[in-house]
Amino acid sequence: MSDPGERLAAGDRIELRFPARGDLVVLARLVTTAISARAGFDVEELEDLRLAVGELCLLALQGSDAQHGDLRLELTVLGDAVAIDCSLERASASGGVAPSPDEEETARLSEQILTALVDDHGRQSEDGAVRAWLRKRRREHAG
Amino acid sequence: MSAGREGAPGPSAVAAPSARTDRFGPTEREQLVTAHLGLARQLARRFSHRGEPLDDLVQVASLGLVSAARRFDPDRGVEFSAFATRTIIGELKRHFRDKGWAVRASRRVQELYLELGHATASLSQRLGRTPTVAELAQETGTSEEAVLEALEAGQGYSTTSIDVPEGEDDPLSARLGARDGGYEVIEDRALLGPALAALPAREQAILRMRFVEGRTQSEIAEVVGVSQMHVSRLLSSSLRELRERMAHVAPAPG
Repeated sequence: MSDPGERLAAGDRIELRFPARGDLVVLARLVTTAISARAGFDVEELEDLRLAVGELCLLALQGSDAQHGDLRLELTVLGDAVAIDCSLERASASGGVAPSPDEEETARLSEQILTALVDDHGRQSEDGAVRAWLRKRRREHAG
Repeated sequence: MSAGREGAPGPSAVAAPSARTDRFGPTEREQLVTAHLGLARQLARRFSHRGEPLDDLVQVASLGLVSAARRFDPDRGVEFSAFATRTIIGELKRHFRDKGWAVRASRRVQELYLELGHATASLSQRLGRTPTVAELAQETGTSEEAVLEALEAGQGYSTTSIDVPEGEDDPLSARLGARDGGYEVIEDRALLGPALAALPAREQAILRMRFVEGRTQSEIAEVVGVSQMHVSRLLSSSLRELRERMAHVAPAPG
């Protein structure tokens, strides 16, 4: 879809930061598909990544009041894969709210979805802020 | 995106304990299915923007759930909800693959891009200004995300050619006010000179403003005193004429 001149190569890194709001997760999806397309992923893989990055954002939003702070998305093009890191950066230094059981349940579903869509993923909680990441390899294509 | 009326039941809490009992017969498997229908629905909804009716997807997901329950081995130590999620997503993806979705999807993007060109034209006329993405989404019956994506992907199709699609009066990219295709092609000034000189003065001026000075179609419209749409039409007819003339001057492009 993109012409070769617009291609991204191994080592290219893109950062996106936006207010941590559910209705803005669309930005993460758009940027992820635009970048992954330029990194050579096929249409089906792009759909996987689009879904996966949505779940990643959901995970990073866990336990936050989602009012104060930014979601930071970092996409790195690797040799045959893309790595995406999503974290919540709070405006204040205070720790986050502990996730409710409901949120934990949603988070578990997100993780299970990620397992089905990408090669590797994980999440860490630091000072109440969640960082979630994924890595997806490209399928082998002729040429 | 709210969970809606189903209330998004927790997928694994119900079934996990029973999954580890020794007696794991048809009744237990049926209970697994019943307990996880909400999960199937939630997963189906995640695929619903691909243009298939949600009900169909729920059905596919439910079949995936049944097959997961049938094949589930509690001794493996994997939670049923994790196993079922994997199976259901696999089933949903296979459904799209079987229907040739990838091919249709890229075609749909191209079609939407074309459609956006027409929508932009008619909305511009109706509104007296260039439409917003939200208005384009409403006009074409899609989401803003889909519009943005089609615009993003669509530009890739049109940057290397000044060819006018058959049955189209003017290049879409020109009508969208985005990139006018053919910039690179007519960069070849030496070749362009004689062909350009043969055009009417107004057309020459418009081409110069667009491609040499890099002005937008709207800016040009203001200078020339015509509508942006008219500038767009003039640009494309001039480009077409140039291409024809250059074909006579040069043996073959490239």
